[in-house]
Amino acid sequence: MQIIDKLSILADAAKYDASCASSGAPKRSSEGKSGLGSTDGMGICHSYTPDGRCVSLLKILLTNFCLYDCQYCVNRRSSDVPRARFTPEEVVTLTLDFYRRNCVSGLFLSSGIIRSADYTMEQLVRVAKLLRKEHEFRGYIHLKTIPDADPALIAEAGRYADRLSVNIELPTDASLQTLAPEKNIGSIKQAMQTIYTGEQTVLNEPRAPKFAPAGQSTQLIVGADDTDDSTILHGAQALYGNFRLRRVYYSAFSPIPDSPKSVPLAAPPLMREHRLYQADFLLRRYGYSADELLKGPGNLALDIDPKLAWALQNREVFPLDLNRAEASLIARIPGIGLRTTERLVELRRQRRIRYEDVARMRCVLAKAKPFIITSDYHPQQAEVTSHLLYQQLRDRPAPQQMGLWG
Amino acid sequence: MINLDCDDLFDTWRQQARWLLSHEIDPSLVSWAAEGVGDLFASDHPVPEGQGPFQARIPRALLDTLENAARYRGDQRWSLLYEVLWRVSHGDRTAMMAGDKLGSELQRRIKQVSREAHHLHAFVRFIERPKALPGPQYVAWHEPAHDILHSASEHFIGRMGRHRWLIATPRDGVYYDGEQLIHERRCPPEWQQLAQNVDDPHGDLWLTYYSHIFNPARLNPKVMQGHLPVRFWKNLPEGELIPQLITQARMGKQQDGQASGISTRAGKRIALKGVERSG
Repeated sequence: MQIIDKLSILADAAKYDASCASSGAPKRSSEGKSGLGSTDGMGICHSYTPDGRCVSLLKILLTNFCLYDCQYCVNRRSSDVPRARFTPEEVVTLTLDFYRRNCVSGLFLSSGIIRSADYTMEQLVRVAKLLRKEHEFRGYIHLKTIPDADPALIAEAGRYADRLSVNIELPTDASLQTLAPEKNIGSIKQAMQTIYTGEQTVLNEPRAPKFAPAGQSTQLIVGADDTDDSTILHGAQALYGNFRLRRVYYSAFSPIPDSPKSVPLAAPPLMREHRLYQADFLLRRYGYSADELLKGPGNLALDIDPKLAWALQNREVFPLDLNRAEASLIARIPGIGLRTTERLVELRRQRRIRYEDVARMRCVLAKAKPFIITSDYHPQQAEVTSHLLYQQLRDRPAPQQMGLWG
Repeated sequence: MINLDCDDLFDTWRQQARWLLSHEIDPSLVSWAAEGVGDLFASDHPVPEGQGPFQARIPRALLDTLENAARYRGDQRWSLLYEVLWRVSHGDRTAMMAGDKLGSELQRRIKQVSREAHHLHAFVRFIERPKALPGPQYVAWHEPAHDILHSASEHFIGRMGRHRWLIATPRDGVYYDGEQLIHERRCPPEWQQLAQNVDDPHGDLWLTYYSHIFNPARLNPKVMQGHLPVRFWKNLPEGELIPQLITQARMGKQQDGQASGISTRAGKRIALKGVERSG
């Protein structure tokens, strides 16, 4: 099979993994050196596909032959898809070619499980090693980690890769047992622990060889089972706490050809995935806890964002005086982000903040208005009930045209 | 009015601005000529000679900010900077801040400039020239909206190592000869030709990848266009694929994520024994 045919099969097989980030790597440069590539911590999106997703890395599988039969996966062994397998050298050639063209900032390599977890992991590590050692490649490498692989192999992967990830796949043990019988939560968390330990070991040792300096991430599939958002967010919070994960990616289950009966035929609304990402961002960057966003069981609202939902439930906090309130509270005002918060704090050191200043700062004023006080403005809506505000502020999606054939 | 021309060079503008400021000449009395129209307006204001008495303290950070904003191509490119300089040097730091009317325009320009530098890092596409040829090994054609080429292309020195590469634009151009970066304010026509007339015999690999990493079940062209403005499509090899991928995804009713080229090929279920064969 020609390399271009393999590429078409193995890129198509890799598209269900959401992550394509190339950020968080240490500063590396090839200036005046042989070899190729640099990283500076900032990721670069070299292109966007019409699904709105960023293309930052060459994201492919080494092979889509797979012994496992995960029901949600297009590459499960019982799936009737064309199969292919790259040699490690072919992946290296493609990575370097795309990199020189400036089409990607590196490689994100994953694989179906062939022969054994160890064998598969060895093959992945071999690609990274070839790139780093033979070709002096200094671009970004993200390796998928096979949960049952020997910790020594994971440790080796950490020396070559910027990022490692172990996919948690499904949010609960029960779902994993039903839909991915060959996987188990124990070995997934064990692999995360191995990576976490590797990171901690070199943490305060500037001379030690780097270990996955861009940290680890994971992905879970939303909507392949009936787990609710509350369980998902509390699970994510635990992962951030226990293993210092950099990111949890949420991938709305994407219907696959010849779908087995155990998984749904239709995708969950992409808005659900979007709300989870928003809530996740509030966990990571704004200091919200999962309990604040969803106390009991249930899902995030689809028609309002989670920050607005929190504000509507906690009206006693608002309206906030932008000239006095603490920065961490200002950041909790709907429609005002971290950047705007910084700018407001910077400005009020110079003079009193007026309403028109806020208007100029590119925040979502319609959302912020009922929740703020400035030197010349007090919201009339301060006394309006949360229910009415909700009616005014919720998203009204444009009516969807029905498909021609129903 | 005092009409000045700095030839769109920051250092020239800086000398002029320093001199104006020393005479405390109000921003409303100064304008800078847009390119090529310098002679249309003669100065009708008596122009003082030499440095004036006013000594302004200009923090280094302000100069860096102004230099950054100066890369923005647009109306009042230089007079806006003088107004900011004037206000800050007279003690009003809000002129640099997003909450201020002038400051928010300044910050908007800086953001546009840094976005455009990022677009260069992201959307430049190098094509390899035949190995035996002298000169650049990799060439690219790019059309930036602001004057970011010189400063932003340093990024590729770290990225491309000792390779020789060239980026040509309709205005300026850069060539890295393996040791140093050469910037030409007017891009030599031969550079432009090199960048625009290069063959790319292996370009189909990237196009194949792009088509297959796209998930037609998640079609969302609006988000894509927000990140990848249409003006860049014509210089991206994948640009001409975009409309047809969108149409195909709509025709296919977005049922699943697989590309049409894959579903028509023979599939293979795997029995649990004897799977160890390569494709």
